[in-house]
Amino acid sequence: MTSATNALLTAEGLSKHYKDVVALDDVSFHVTEGITGILGENGAGKSTAIKIFLGLLRATDGTATVLGENVAENVLVRSRLGYMPEHDCLPTNVSAAEFLTHMAEVSGLPPLRARTRAADTLRHAGLFEERYRTMGGYSTGMKQRVKLAQALVHDPTMVFLDEPTAGLDPAGREEMLDLVRKTHREFGISVLFSSHLMADVERTCDRIIVLQAGRVVQSGAVEHFTSESETVFIEVDTNLDQLVVALEARGVAVSADGHGLAVQGPDASVYDLVRDALVEARAPLRRMAPRRRALTELFRRDDDASEGEVSS
Amino acid sequence: MTAGPNERTGATGAGTGAVFDIGYQRYTGIREGRNRARLAVYKDGVRNALGIGRETRAKVLPGLFIALLLVIAMGMAMAAGAAQRLIGPEGPSQLDLPSHSDYYGIASIIIFVFGAVVGPEMLCPDRRNGTINLYLVRPLTGSDYVLARWAAFVSVMSIVVWLPQLVLLVGLMMGGPDPFQYLSEHWLDLPRLLLSGTAMAAYTTTLALLTASFTTRRAYASVFLVGLFVITTPFTTGLASEIGGAAGQWISMFNLSNIPVHVNDLIFGEVSSVTSVAPARELSASILIGWYLLWTVVPGAVLWLRYRRMTP
Repeated sequence: MTSATNALLTAEGLSKHYKDVVALDDVSFHVTEGITGILGENGAGKSTAIKIFLGLLRATDGTATVLGENVAENVLVRSRLGYMPEHDCLPTNVSAAEFLTHMAEVSGLPPLRARTRAADTLRHAGLFEERYRTMGGYSTGMKQRVKLAQALVHDPTMVFLDEPTAGLDPAGREEMLDLVRKTHREFGISVLFSSHLMADVERTCDRIIVLQAGRVVQSGAVEHFTSESETVFIEVDTNLDQLVVALEARGVAVSADGHGLAVQGPDASVYDLVRDALVEARAPLRRMAPRRRALTELFRRDDDASEGEVSS
Repeated sequence: MTAGPNERTGATGAGTGAVFDIGYQRYTGIREGRNRARLAVYKDGVRNALGIGRETRAKVLPGLFIALLLVIAMGMAMAAGAAQRLIGPEGPSQLDLPSHSDYYGIASIIIFVFGAVVGPEMLCPDRRNGTINLYLVRPLTGSDYVLARWAAFVSVMSIVVWLPQLVLLVGLMMGGPDPFQYLSEHWLDLPRLLLSGTAMAAYTTTLALLTASFTTRRAYASVFLVGLFVITTPFTTGLASEIGGAAGQWISMFNLSNIPVHVNDLIFGEVSSVTSVAPARELSASILIGWYLLWTVVPGAVLWLRYRRMTP
């Protein structure tokens, strides 16, 4: 377990209330180098937490420090941070090259260095050929890349990505996740990645913090979540009840899942047991596939979990 | 040269050249912090206002207004030159032709419309596009942002109001038999027109940006401002002359187009043709200056307060 002294980002007893609405409720965690995912459903408090860390919102209670500084009190630390917002943030009437140069200057880089960095960052984001086109004509995928590029253009120590795959098609989503992985593994920039998609976080992050209704319900290395969230989904044409009996007789945990059955257990031997049970129950198999646990299930299971901490 | 791990050689002509992918480069140069950020926002504001580096249509409106203001100044200079040639050196004053003290009165409505049309460009698009989110997470506060934008538009407005006056000055110098004698006799006009122009620029900028801070739609702000400047003139003029007396003078003070022109009259020490019919001209200098400051400092403070704690 890594101590909080190595933390890039620390929350201690962090709360944020909007009148009667509690967005964050006594949240404590710390984030070290690497890619950390903040996972939660809409309204769980992910964006609120990010905005507090960036100094855009003031916490009702508790402390939030980034790179050892309270951002609300020392704006200069923001020159070491990058932020990719969830929503649109790009002007339509300027080119990506000009916009990134401007954003690099606003981050404190001298004009000549800003121009060089803008071109380099756009090349890494895969937009080098398109950099002189006005951004009004960009596709959603290209806009997401520019949003990421502007967060990286000043070479921050840490970057906050708020739902970076929002609105992307599967191919675009895959490319964006690749870029996020590259951001840490090749560029050496630590990432705090907020998402409501378990699959995105699982495939990209080293560690996960799960937020629900403003509280940390789980946190830890991504393998912990992956191993525990695998199930096998089975759908048969007939003899479903006989199949359940046959599976239970073999000691396999089964639960109803819509029109099929969810068989618990990541162990590969479960497939042999399912095969034998199908034969015994004479149940014609329509579909069998591994399935990740739905995020809602994860939250349901962890309702009573308390706050935790992230370790590398 | 030794080939690096990321070296890629061409498929043809081996040994004739090499392309090096040097990968991601960390930024190790200087970070100039908050002042660089302010300067970048200021420069961007000037470019936005004048359409520099933008598509052609962004340059058309400011170009048209500046051309129109220059045409008025050139017309006044040519009329004065013709009077000097036909009647003699005293010709312009004998014919009571308008000069520097009258210019802002004559051109004030065009200056205000320029401010109303271009001023909202400073603030509206950033909030409409969400770009403000990116500014506020950089080493820049809301106050820094709005002050830099205000300074940018005051600079542009100052150029817009000074340039025609300088053209008029050159025209009047060249129109007479001895340009240097004209300058030695009228040199005080130069600081006066600069000071008066600054007062006009600060007033117009503050009202335009305050209005723009209440809407994300540039067109709404422009229509409101044009209406404010254009409608208050006939309304207050008619009402003031109808009521008369001290009440009429105070009603006349609410002619928003005349507020900086009264200051112009005080600077030049003579009443311009536009304010000669305004009952407010009879009020004391301290009231007229105080009224101007009230309409500039208070809206400026409200504008600052709106951005000081702005959160996306």
